[in-house]
Amino acid sequence: MQTRPLGETGHDSTVMTFGAIALNWLEQEGADQMVELVLDRGINHFDVAPTYGDAEVKLAPKLNQHREEIFLGCKTQERDYEGAKAKLEASLERLETDHIELYQVHGLEYEHELETITGEDGALEAFREAKEDGVVDHIGLTSHGNPQLILEAIDRIDDLETLMFPMNPVVAGKDDDDHDYEAVLERADEEGIGTLGIKAFAKGPWPSTDELPEADRPYANWYEPVDTPAEIEERFDFAASSGLTSVINAGDPKLVAMILDAASRYDGMDEAARRSLIERLRHEESPVPEQLHH
Amino acid sequence: MDVPTTVTTALEDRPIAGATCLEAGAGVGNTTAGLLAADAARVYAVTNDANHASTVSERVGRREVDRTAVLEADLRDLPLASNSVDVITAHGLCNVLTPQALERVATELTRVAAAGCHLVVDDYEPLPADAAVRELFALENAVAELVGGRPHLTFYPATMLRRLFAGHGWTFDRERTLLDPVPWTRRHLEAHAAVARAGAEELPTELREPLLADLEDLVAAIGEESVGEMYSIAMRFSD
Repeated sequence: MQTRPLGETGHDSTVMTFGAIALNWLEQEGADQMVELVLDRGINHFDVAPTYGDAEVKLAPKLNQHREEIFLGCKTQERDYEGAKAKLEASLERLETDHIELYQVHGLEYEHELETITGEDGALEAFREAKEDGVVDHIGLTSHGNPQLILEAIDRIDDLETLMFPMNPVVAGKDDDDHDYEAVLERADEEGIGTLGIKAFAKGPWPSTDELPEADRPYANWYEPVDTPAEIEERFDFAASSGLTSVINAGDPKLVAMILDAASRYDGMDEAARRSLIERLRHEESPVPEQLHH
Repeated sequence: MDVPTTVTTALEDRPIAGATCLEAGAGVGNTTAGLLAADAARVYAVTNDANHASTVSERVGRREVDRTAVLEADLRDLPLASNSVDVITAHGLCNVLTPQALERVATELTRVAAAGCHLVVDDYEPLPADAAVRELFALENAVAELVGGRPHLTFYPATMLRRLFAGHGWTFDRERTLLDPVPWTRRHLEAHAAVARAGAEELPTELREPLLADLEDLVAAIGEESVGEMYSIAMRFSD
């Protein structure tokens, strides 16, 4: 599988990153098998979070069996020093590891959160302390919120090494600032920041709960994903050819094997084909930017 | 308003800023929006369709009153002075012109072009033989032929349009692929089906009913299809 430099971290990430949230919906045996499958396909970058149910715990056995093969990203939604420090320690314990390669501010949504994170006693102080102690190697940030806020975060966090944000043909076809994740990508490139794409497989928001109750949704994702091999492949190709370092799978485990297959066969997507996809989906709704009120 | 990537790609290497522009065949105003976004000094959006003229005025003209003039006019007889336009666009126009109309439109566009004028012609290559949408377009054309004696759609190869405009004094500058494949979405196919249905209203029952039955079957069977190529040709008027 193709690899690309993850910004200036010194790590070459595979063009697909394994979003370990998928493990949350599997029993331990299935989780172990999924990690083996992902590693067998050559994936070297994993991403997890304490908010993904018990994904950290289920990842732990195979993570430790294959620790040297895995560049591990984890994250926290805590915004202050004490909260972030405590969450990092808890994640290390649940993951049964003593270090995390990439620790990320998770799900930035509001301006006031950025104030807290970057301020005195903010989460970034805990991140930097952990980096000095050798517990964390790199600092990143994730958001499916407003692109303008992500741009501001780039301005305000000098030691930011990676960004995770949405990229798909539906948002790429919308011109307004609220969907301008391409500006984030461009700016990240200029700054040498590695870029991880999420929501590549988002088809749109789910129908209203009146129309389709939450319990009747066929996938675990909070948005409706594309789910045929052809759609998965074109969505993967689009995201991977947009300049991102790596593309993260949709969270539902039923989709992971198809996405792995698309990633294994990725060989680029030319501009005319990218525009074709954007124009085909021009009138679709985008589930991002979204504020999930965590 | 979101400007389609086909429009931004066709215009991105043209000197639009400060130019007086003509969108020939304004449709819903996508290219007019693209020209305004690229800082055109003035855009004449010309269409012979009253509904389109009204749509362009609503979507674009109201916000850009000083820079936009929506003209309901025949492209074969433009209400514009000779040698007055710096950039002319024909985005998806030529396929709805018959060969006779195309020749006359080319003559008129050349008349209004200022020395050094840039022309951007974006259109579709003829569809491959195995494309399902060919059958739908053939049926649309059959209705148009039966009603008015001429087809509704003609897909001209890029090379042919280059030669046509070269014959009017335009010099070829560049060609690029805008879409490959072309996404013929349900919306597109439904719009073509609506044209055929409207035309069929003028046919006698014994012709109309089997054509409409075939039409509905085709629309349902095709759903949507991505096939063919959309190109962009840029030329320069040197006279």
